[in-house]
Formats: sequence, C-alpha cells, structure tokens
Amino acid sequence: MNVKRLLGLDTDADRYAYGVDPVSGFVSAQKIPDRWVATTCGYCSVGCGMFVGVKDGAAVSVRGNPDHPVNRGVLCPKGLSEHQTLNTDNRARYPLFKRNGGFTRVGWDEAIVTMASAFCDVQARYGRDAVGVISTGQLVTEEFYTLGKLVQLGLGTRNYDGNTTLCMSTAVAGYKRSFGSDGPPGAYEDLERADVILLIGANIADNHPILCRRLQANPGTTLIVVDPRVTKTAMMADLHLPIRPRADLALLNGLIHIVIEHDLIDRDYVERHTTGFDALCESVRQYTPDRVAEITGLSLEVIYRVASLYANARAAFIGWTMGVNHSTKGTETVNAINNLALITGNIGRSGAAPFSITGQCNAMGTREAGFASSLPGYRKFECAEDRDALAAIWKVPAERLPAARGLAYPDIIEAALERKIRALWIIATNPIVSFPNLGVLRQALEGLEFLVVQDGFHPTPTSELADLVLPAAIWGEKEGTYTNSERRVSKVNRAVDPPGEARADFDIFLDLADALAVRDELFPGWSAPRDAFEEWKQVSAGRLCDYSGMTYEAIEANGGIQWPYPAGAAEPAATRRLYSDGNFQTDDGRARLIPVAWEPFPEQPSDDFPLVLNTGRTVEHWHTRTKTGKVPILERLSPNAWVDMNPRDARRLSLKPQDRVDVVSRRGRIKDVELRVTETMAPGQIFVPFHYAEANANGVTQSAFDPISREPNYKQSAVRVERSMR
Amino acid sequence: MSLPLLKRAADDDGDFVRVSPKTRARSAALCGTGLEGQMPPRAPGAGEQYRFHFDMGRCIGCKCCVVACNEQNGNPAAINWRRVGEIEGGWYPNTRRTYLSMGCNHCVDPTCLSGCPVDAYSKDPATGIVRHSAEACIGCQYCTWNCSYGVPQYNAERGVVGKCDMCHGRLALGQAPACVSACPEGAIAIEIVKTEEWRAAFVAGTPGGGVPQADGSISTTRVTLPKELPPNARPLYLSNVHPEEPHWPLVIMTVLTQLAVGAFTTIWLLQLLGLSTRLGSAAVTSLLVAALALNASTLHLGRPIHAYRALKMWRRSWVSREVLLFTAFAAVAAVYAVILWFGLPGGAVVGALTALFGVAGVTASACIYRVPSRPAWNTRYTLLQFNLTAGALGPLLAAAVGAGDARWVPLAAAVMASAQLVLLALRFFRLIAAGGIELQGTARLLATTLKSRFIARALLLALGGIALPLVAPPSVAWLALALALTGEIIGRYLFFVSVVPKHMAAPYLELGSEAA
Repeated sequence: MNVKRLLGLDTDADRYAYGVDPVSGFVSAQKIPDRWVATTCGYCSVGCGMFVGVKDGAAVSVRGNPDHPVNRGVLCPKGLSEHQTLNTDNRARYPLFKRNGGFTRVGWDEAIVTMASAFCDVQARYGRDAVGVISTGQLVTEEFYTLGKLVQLGLGTRNYDGNTTLCMSTAVAGYKRSFGSDGPPGAYEDLERADVILLIGANIADNHPILCRRLQANPGTTLIVVDPRVTKTAMMADLHLPIRPRADLALLNGLIHIVIEHDLIDRDYVERHTTGFDALCESVRQYTPDRVAEITGLSLEVIYRVASLYANARAAFIGWTMGVNHSTKGTETVNAINNLALITGNIGRSGAAPFSITGQCNAMGTREAGFASSLPGYRKFECAEDRDALAAIWKVPAERLPAARGLAYPDIIEAALERKIRALWIIATNPIVSFPNLGVLRQALEGLEFLVVQDGFHPTPTSELADLVLPAAIWGEKEGTYTNSERRVSKVNRAVDPPGEARADFDIFLDLADALAVRDELFPGWSAPRDAFEEWKQVSAGRLCDYSGMTYEAIEANGGIQWPYPAGAAEPAATRRLYSDGNFQTDDGRARLIPVAWEPFPEQPSDDFPLVLNTGRTVEHWHTRTKTGKVPILERLSPNAWVDMNPRDARRLSLKPQDRVDVVSRRGRIKDVELRVTETMAPGQIFVPFHYAEANANGVTQSAFDPISREPNYKQSAVRVERSMR
Repeated sequence: MSLPLLKRAADDDGDFVRVSPKTRARSAALCGTGLEGQMPPRAPGAGEQYRFHFDMGRCIGCKCCVVACNEQNGNPAAINWRRVGEIEGGWYPNTRRTYLSMGCNHCVDPTCLSGCPVDAYSKDPATGIVRHSAEACIGCQYCTWNCSYGVPQYNAERGVVGKCDMCHGRLALGQAPACVSACPEGAIAIEIVKTEEWRAAFVAGTPGGGVPQADGSISTTRVTLPKELPPNARPLYLSNVHPEEPHWPLVIMTVLTQLAVGAFTTIWLLQLLGLSTRLGSAAVTSLLVAALALNASTLHLGRPIHAYRALKMWRRSWVSREVLLFTAFAAVAAVYAVILWFGLPGGAVVGALTALFGVAGVTASACIYRVPSRPAWNTRYTLLQFNLTAGALGPLLAAAVGAGDARWVPLAAAVMASAQLVLLALRFFRLIAAGGIELQGTARLLATTLKSRFIARALLLALGGIALPLVAPPSVAWLALALALTGEIIGRYLFFVSVVPKHMAAPYLELGSEAA
C-alpha cells in the first residue's frame, strides 16, 4: 500500500471509474472491451448464446446474446462470470512430466513423444486394449469426432468412454431401447407449450436456471415435480410429489397402470406406432395404486390426480435429469417414462416429449460424434451395414472398425484395478472428485503404469496423480460447436489465447496422430476444427443427427440450428422435433414399449448407517469446481460444502445448526462439513453437494452401476452422521 | 462526476428513462416477461421518485443479480451491493424457501445521508436515488452501521464506502439497471412512487407493500410476497453468527477519550474541593492521553488526511458532533492544563467547561452507536457504559499520578467500577432474555466464541477497578489503572465484535404476511 493510499489522497478512482460501452451501455470502465466475440456458454447443456468481451487480449466481461433463441440475453450466475474462468491461477500452462515424485516442465514435442511411446510400449506388452481413454462432455464436437477416430483407429483400443457415462448414458440407453436411437425428441419450446409438465429428479432452478424462464412463459401449465427433496424447483411446482428415494419407477408404472385401466391411452397411436403393448399391460398389472402408494409414500389421491392430469393433457412434457439417471434402475426408469409418453401419444408434438435435460455443454456432441458408446452418427457397433458405411466414408477397411463397444467408464476402472488396463488417458474430467467410491478409484489409478491427464486446469486432485499433464485450452480459447439438450448445434469461438503453452485439444490430438503415424491416413490435410466439421457433416448425413445442411456461418447467423438439418433443408431457425411422423429408428419403425420392474435401491439403511444420502449441485458451482472454484464471486456465494438434514434427525443426534459433522458410509468418510438443519429434507435423508474436493461426497458413495447404461448409483448411499472430532 | 442525467432531469423532458424499441420488441418476443414490464415508461414527475419492486414469488434464488451487480460496478467479490437473503418456513414436505434480493432501498429519509459527517450522500432531486460520492467520503463507515439494511459497504482497498445507486448512470442513458436486466425471472423492476403518499401510508401504518420499516428512514422498495408464506418463516443460518470487525482505532479512541474526560472531570472536582496536590501533573498526563486518543481516531478513517471534513455536518450527524465536541474538549483541556501547571487563575471555570465538553463528547460518542440496525448497541447501556468507563478510569488516573486525596479518589473509582460491573452483568442477562435473534446472537457470541475474553474483561475490571483501589497501597495505583484500562479496552473490543447486525430480511419477517 502506498503513502497516498494510506493518507486517503488516492482512492483507486481510476479502477472504479465507469464508461459507456457502445453495446452494453454504462458500466465499470474495466469491463469495457475492445471487441465482443460471439460464442456459446461452456457450462451446462442449456446452451446459452453469449458474447465475451476482450480487452488487450484478455477476457474482461461477458453478456448474454439478446438474439439467441435459447436464452434471449440472460445468463445464470456462472455464465455471468464465465470470463473469470480463463485467468485463474489454477490453469494448466505447461506440459509437465513427473520425475521422482515431482513435476518437471517439458516441451510439447517431448511430451507427445513420451505419451505415444508409453502407450505403444504398454500395448506391445499387454495388447492394444491395455490402454484406456476417459474423455468428457466439455470438448467441442469437432474434437470428439477427431478423438474418437484417433482412439479407435489410431491407438486401436476399444476401451474408450467419457464422463458422460456418469451423467447421461442412462438417457442414451433408454432412448436407444425405446426408440432405436439416442436423441432427445423435444425442444425447449415444449416447456412453453405443454399444459402439463412433469419433472422427475430434475432441479432445474439450481442446475438449468435459464430453463425456468420457459415455465414463466407458460403460466397456464400445471407443473408437477417428483423429488424426495424439496428443491427450489419443487417449490415452484403446482404439485410436488415428495416420493421416497428411488420410488420413481414404481410411480411411473403405477401411472401407466391407471392410464391403461381407465382407458386414457391414445389407442390409435399405440396401434400404429408401438409394439409390446400387451406385455406392458401385463407388467404393470401388479402396480396397483395401493401398492404404488405404499412404495412411493404418496397418497392414492395424488397418484390418481397426476395420472389424470398427464393423460388428459393436450400436450404433456416429461423432463428428467440425475434423479432418474443416477440409479441402478435408471435405464428402465427412462423406458418407463418413454412408455408413459408413448401410450398417451405425448411425443413428437408441440409441447409433448419425454425429454432428457442433458448435463454438460457438449455431452450431446460426444454422444453424436464421439465413437465411444456407438459409432459416429448414432451408428451401431454390431451392425455390419453401419460399419461398412463408415469405412467407406473413411476409406479404411471395414475390419478396422470394432464390432462391439469396449469397456464403459466404470469397467475401465475395474479393468485398471485388475491390471488389464495399464495406461490411461484422462481428458477434461476430474474423476477423483466425480467418480463414485473414491477408495477403489484411487487404487485403480495408482496401479497404472502410465497416466496422462489432459486438462485446462492443474493441479486438480486427478492431475496430481498423473505421470504426464498436458495443458489444454478451454472454452473461450478455441473454436468448434456444441450441441445442447434440444439438439441445437451452436458455435463456440476463440476469444483469447490459451495461457502459457496450453493448446487446443484438437491440436493435441493431431500431434498425437502424427506421433502415432496415422495423421495422414485419418486426418488428411486437417489443420483446423472446420476440417473435422466438414467430414463429420458427411458422416452424419442421412442419420438422425444429420448436420449435412449446416455451415459454421449459418449456425452463427441463426443462433444455432437444431438437427436433423440435412443438406437442402430450409428454415434453419425453425423448431424441430423428432418422431413427429411416428416413425422411429427401429427396424420396423415402431417404438418399443418395454416392461420394467421396480426394485428397492441397493444399499438400504441399517442400524449402523441409518440415513440415506442424496448428492447434487448448487447453482453457483460447476461439477468439481475446477472451473468455478477460482471465480471469486462464485466462491464468495458458496465457499464450502455442507450437509442438509431434517430438524428431527438433528434433534435425535443432538446436533445443532452449523455444527461440524462427518458423513460416514461403509466405504469412507466426508470430514468436517457444516450441518444445515432444514425442512427441505425428509427425515431419514440427508443431502451433500458433490462439488467440493475437500469434502468429497464420492468418498462415501458406492460402486453400484446400472447394468445397461453402466451409470453409477450416486444417490441413496446408506450413511450415518457424527459430530466431527477436532 | 457530471452526468447528462442532471441536465436532462433539470429539463424535465419526461423522457428520462427510455426502453429502447429494440429491447422492447425483443423482450415482448420472449415469454412476455420482458423489460417492458420492469422499467417505467416515463421519468418521475414532481413529488415522485424511482424505486425497486421485487417480486418474491418469481425469484428462484439464482443470484444472477448479485453477480451482475458486481460485474457492473467492478467490485471485488467481498463487496456485494446487491445481496440475496434466504428465508425458510413450513414443515417437510410443505416447505417454502423464499429469497429476498436487496440493493439499496433509496429511502425517503435515508439514515446513511442524515448520519454522514461529510455530506457524501445526496438524494437526487429528479429520481430520488440515494447517491454516494466516493470523492467526498472520508471512510468513517458510520453509514455502514447506520443503515438498517446494511446497504453501504466499506471498501478497505479504496478507503471509502460504496453503495447501490440503482445504476444511475445506466438509467441516465435509458438503460435498465444491471440487476433488472440480468434477472432471468423478471423479479426485479424499477417503478415510480409518489413519495408523500408512500410516506403517509407508512405513518398511517398501512403500507401497500414494501420492505417493512426497520427504522424511520421509509424504505421505498416494494416487495410482492408469495401467495402463501408459512407461519414459521425465518432467515436461514440464523445461528451462524460471526464476530464483527473490531475497529481497533475506535476501541482505543473511545476508551482513551473517556479516560481523559474522566480524569479532567476528577481533576476539576478535586480543584473545587480544594484538594489540589499534583493536579497540574494529572492534567498534563490526561491531556497527552486525549491527544493520543484523537490521533488514534483518524487511523479508523479510510482517508485520514481528510479527517477535518468530519466537522462539516454537525447540525445532523453524531459523528460530526463527536468530533466537534472532542476538539473543543481538547482545546479547553489544554488551556486548563496550562492554568493548573502554572497555577494561573480561572481554573474552576475553565475546568467546568472542560468537563462539560468532555461529558458531552462521550455522550455524542455513545449516540453514534444508537442505531436500530445493531440492536446490541441500540440500548441505554451504551451511554451508561461509556460514561462509567470515564467514571472509573478518570479517578484511577488521578490516583496513579498521586493527585488529590489518596483515600477518596480510589474509593470513587471503586464505586464507578462496581457500577460498571453491575451494568455488565445486567446487560448480559438482558441479552440472554431478549427476544430478538440479533440480541440472542450477541449473547451466544459472548457465551461461546468470546467467552474467555468476556470473563477476562470482567476480572480485570473487578481487580483493577475495585479490589486494588480498595485494598492496595497508593504505590500500586499505576497497576490498578493498567489493569482496569486493559479491562475497558477488552470490553470495548467485545462491544464492537459481539454486535450482530440485523439480518436483511429481519424487518420484513417481523411484519410477516401483513406486508402482502
């Protein structure tokens, strides 16, 4: 502090001066940029259009794009401060190689050569599939497309999956089983058009706040929220169904039971566009309202009312997120949602859709183009015709394409534990905080011979374990496209340079291809994401996720374009829905009605672990806080983890609000977190946010996975709460 | 800072706030909750002002307004001119959480303005916006206590206070404030209120909606409550009380000025009683203490070089009055000390003036802390405690210097210290028995986090103020003074750190659903 400041002659007036930006108006002078760069938000999958303000090569501000159809100019608190993620002190700046337990800075050439030779060495000794790759939902579609091709055809390992399996794989599997393909059928506009909206396990007020605007635009709708917790979203509901944990599937079967019994089905739609109705009828027979009331804890009256509201609606919408997906019965719950929508004809129409609200900014992009859980363009590994078609586009022998998918994320970890996978490449994800049952994961990662972590941030709890850290550019520093939940492809642009020597993931992938001597074969003449986009357009042509009519320029001009948008299509700005013609992606074009059975959640509370732990998010933070943890205003608003508990449980445990407590399961302990006593929790249940590495919720969660989608059962761990020992 | 606003407002062209046609079209296209409903169609006329309207039923607690406000004003994360308070009520599963987003309430009679010693605040005649001038501000922070809603916030980096000005600069250019345009739910709006009607409604106790009044400032913000609010609605995390800033310069300044005032008053009484041993030494010592105290006070200011400005608003600010009275006290005390030192005549009259200005100064000090937003300060105890600090420490200093009478002076100190100790106990029991969440919070802090310091303070008072003066020989009088002084300093530290400011939603909850 200088003397003038101490005396009070200097009040830092310059830094707090205001000015007038030609676009955003009167504002703090330090926030006025030289130029605005149009882009799409890099946090969640709502896909808000925005501009980044750049001054002297640094991002100084953001503003919502008033003309973008998704958000019309507004942003959530994370989006409003997103420029601050670019300049944090936890950005990865240089390639780092671990020697004698410490990181040493190395050049890019050395880093890439080291990586390629380590992978080749492992593959030479243990086989090609001994290298695993875990990617993300954070890259641009062009990078996912490039990475998939590089991993499957270049590295030649099938053991490639993304953190999307911790998040959306259940929706993918459910859609594939019911409709023959992935792809959420509806559009955000449906939230404005539906006369009944049923949200299941979806707390959009915290997690997708910009979607809440759509509800306000639809004051006539009846909003029904199914959630064991009284979330912000549940409080917005006309009807909140505080069901017991994991009772969602029983509720859905019960609703189907009532709808069928009272003949509220759309018989014409069922007959023309579905198969399996008789088996469905048979399977829901046992889900009588009485039994469903008993399982869910809801009253008969409420169950009948919801069935009647949904089935009698002109257009009914079902939206869901992690409450459904994070479950060992997740995929079947998605099928039950689809069953209900199909038998009432609530699909493919304005306002009517069974709609998975996605998580990450480009989880959709990796599902479409990624080559992990399916071949690019929603093609099937097991379909020879699909493999031939792809091989023809790529001009490679069809035998080089795998005929079955490799291991899913949890199974890659399991294989690492069994030392079947010896080297791992983790890209833009932080499993030490995000993967369930931390102890097992740690053991798996520590047993690896070589771990590469490629991330925009370092150190993260995961990158600290790496043998090689590759610094990557993040949102705002590179170009490409994101696809949002409503299948809208939007453009993201480079506003600033990456810090230090960090590089776009796209360039890192091409360099590795070079080192593996496959660049000319797989990526001939490629130098920029646009090259990948052009090839991806060909690959997607004729598929459900058809991009072939799009160009970067048209995408920018229209605030994103929803697929399918084949070459020659008109009206880029039009709202599109899937299955409007009742034609599904199955062999016979009919949707499948799939009988599913409810089961209690796997880890039931016991005398030692009497509470049921629920995990989730808060509006201020993103995933494992690598991005938001260093944004001062977000940290100010939500600096620490906490435990929500009902007052009755707190009294029973002689705990007071703000006491420091530990949460203990059979697998581990979350230490020293603040207790919040609140009536938003049911007695017997507690909630912990999963963002905080220092109070890692996944230290206590379990290794239980959906047998179909392989998604973890993050919800419903049996725990107890103890006063922390200081 | 001159803005086109001022000129245009003077022109009264009726077009002060415009919503551009483009914005209007855009927002109309979206959801019908666009800015056209959130911005008034015209500028305030005569007898009118702008105000915030907050629709609690729409707010989803996303805190976009907080982030947008910080971005708009370039404030560091720790300073939030707009804040969001959470309120919870009901019982599972019929639980309701509501959020109160609050910037400045742009009061009809703002207490920040009336208390400011340097006239840094102004109420804009055209818009009614309460504005603050960083240039005029000296960083005394009195407004941060005096505002019942905790709106002005001190920026230590700059040495001045800052606050929400309803994005005055944006309004002047026809742009919506940052919070209004950032709210995804359209929960924040600007509207026009007829000032006198609004005042009359509050005087009559029939507000048509609004933040229920925490004091006489008449907040203009109108709040639309959700349809149903549970009967047990309360702010969240109430028990999460933390010690406040200690304000060390003020701890030193208040205790030492009180010591000096007490000493001079003792000296004057001794002179009247004809016990004139070593009064000159005592007076010079006390004068040095007073000088030290007044210099210490400037260290509290963010901009000490401008301390003199604090005299400006003596007609309405207790801070100005305090500064004025203590300056007068110091001047007269200096004359008095010279008279006593050299044995000049006129001592009785000048001594009386010294005591008078001194006690008035201590009273003005106490009045600074009588603010509704800080319930633990806003009691009669504050005035009594400040004067009893003077009453106990003054005779102890006189005794330490050996002035006057070795028997009666320590006895006087012991009587005053005993009264202080009784007061300490009474105040604590009153806090425990109090109904208000803030007073209970203060009691909880004293009984938990600050417990050892609280006990030490009482013991030091009992030992230095009562036990030693009564039983020990005059040779240890310095020790008695040192112990008692330390006790008072810890006591004043506790006074500052144990106060629990009113929760921003507290006045609102006290009125409960009547505000609908």
